[in-house]
Amino acid sequence: MIDVEPVDETVAAPVLPSALLTTWRIARRAAVESLHDRATYTMSLIFAVVLPLGVVIGVLRPESLAANTAARAASLATLMGVYVLIVGLGPSSGAMNIAAGVFAGEKEKGNLAPLLATPASNLSIFAGKVLGSVIPAWLYILLAEAIYLVALATILGPDRLRLLSVSLWFSMAALVPPITVLGAAVSSFISSRVRTYNAAQMATGLALTPVMGLLIGVGFALRDQGSGLRLACVAGLVALDLLILRLAAGTWRREEVMAHQ
Amino acid sequence: MIETFDLGRRFGDFVAVDRVSLRVPAGSVLALLGPNGAGKTTTVRMLAGLLAPTEGTATVAGFDARRDPAAIRARVGLVTDVPGLYERMTTGAYLDFFGAMYGMPAPARVRRVEELIGFFELADHRTERMAGFSKGMKQKVALARALLHSPDVLFLDEPTSALDPIAARAVRELIVSLKHARRAIILCTHDLDEAERLADQVAIIRGGRLIACDTPAGLRAAGSSAVMVRVELAEPHPAALVLLDTVAGVLDPWVVPYDVAQPKVLEYRTADPRAVNPRVVARLSADGAAIVSITCQTRTLEDVYVDQLNTREHPPISLKAAVAR
Repeated sequence: MIDVEPVDETVAAPVLPSALLTTWRIARRAAVESLHDRATYTMSLIFAVVLPLGVVIGVLRPESLAANTAARAASLATLMGVYVLIVGLGPSSGAMNIAAGVFAGEKEKGNLAPLLATPASNLSIFAGKVLGSVIPAWLYILLAEAIYLVALATILGPDRLRLLSVSLWFSMAALVPPITVLGAAVSSFISSRVRTYNAAQMATGLALTPVMGLLIGVGFALRDQGSGLRLACVAGLVALDLLILRLAAGTWRREEVMAHQ
Repeated sequence: MIETFDLGRRFGDFVAVDRVSLRVPAGSVLALLGPNGAGKTTTVRMLAGLLAPTEGTATVAGFDARRDPAAIRARVGLVTDVPGLYERMTTGAYLDFFGAMYGMPAPARVRRVEELIGFFELADHRTERMAGFSKGMKQKVALARALLHSPDVLFLDEPTSALDPIAARAVRELIVSLKHARRAIILCTHDLDEAERLADQVAIIRGGRLIACDTPAGLRAAGSSAVMVRVELAEPHPAALVLLDTVAGVLDPWVVPYDVAQPKVLEYRTADPRAVNPRVVARLSADGAAIVSITCQTRTLEDVYVDQLNTREHPPISLKAAVAR
């Protein structure tokens, strides 16, 4: 028989762990779970490996072979910079998929209620779920960008890689993480308010497809702008993320999740 | 330890729980019975700090369910109707994660996890992912999770379902020892025998309303004034049924199995067995029937449950009545 202590009614309230630590534990658990999910890692690996190789072989190599003038070389350099964004956004879609399942999917499986029954705050649970969706995607984005750079260097050659402006590469790469967070936050928010994973995925797709299209358009438009404006866009996107996260976490209630059963 | 007054919950126009008043003191078990969709889960969710009531009040472990749901969650252990595990985790890692969520310091967490893994005989599976576990093993992990932080109040939804008889018995003994350690426990179950064995009070809920709440003995006694009596004869006695029908106070006599020509075992209902049974014995004996035994059959909780659910209209039970119990 296990130790069953009598209830001591003079005992003070349990000391709860800090909100940050709780958030991190929830995020780490969700991230590890996603990294072990076969469907998620298969899809993410395809995006992280096939997309950069496809872009380099199918799009940039013909451009590189034809870039025999200074103007064509400059155009190739810009194109290589813009594809830093596209290559990063492929695996970032994994974050939205994971986020679509964090509430609705777990609710369907019945493993959400035990977490909601703990004293962890609404903010910790929501932020932990978003962070847990984003971490695996960031890892796959890093992998995709690394494969992209290695493919540029090996397939097009180091001379072509040297054409890529560091400033353009950095600003395009810097756009990817905040776009991923934006997608994951919106997706998690939708997921917490619908009954099923499929409904969450569908609603997320409807809500985010135009937003992602717009952001890719902005990325393309930024290729010819100065680095100041590009960095301002990144900063603006980070600010938008913080605002959305704050609004979503502030209005999210575990009550809502339990009510939509 | 748990007290509700006219507790209610609406989802739009749908009333899931309607004016439920309960009182579960420390050191007692209340079995919450009812068909699927009756409102048991919603009631438990409100009391566990997961759903806010829309009507009435609830106090759990001294905290108000509307104002302090987080304080309630810290003091409550919950086993849901499905184990609800993160199946890619190992048992040890899973319990450690939830121990951390309840704010247990690492040394206490390690000690408690070891203790529970030992109690539930999961030591051999500590490092296995739970995806391959049987339903019973998953149920054990869910129970261990609910007990990790030694909560004052426990809500157990079908805690012994899927367990083998030995494990189920161990869990029932655990529930009794938790009760003796002054925990307040609400047990949702469809196992009426288990409810009868473990519960100090039995509450029956239907359509969101509490339609009965009393001790198991009280419910059995209050449900019907008539008891069932069985008479066994040494040999078939053709006139037995006719004779029984002539005894004042005998209701609905019949033969078991139904063979009017050769009655050997007979049953009847009576509101006053002390007066009626001697008259039955005298009448049958006078006619030459040899009686082997005559037994009054106790009404089971299942009989009460079925009767309650078959009754069409029930007024909700007031707190005054609940407290009086």
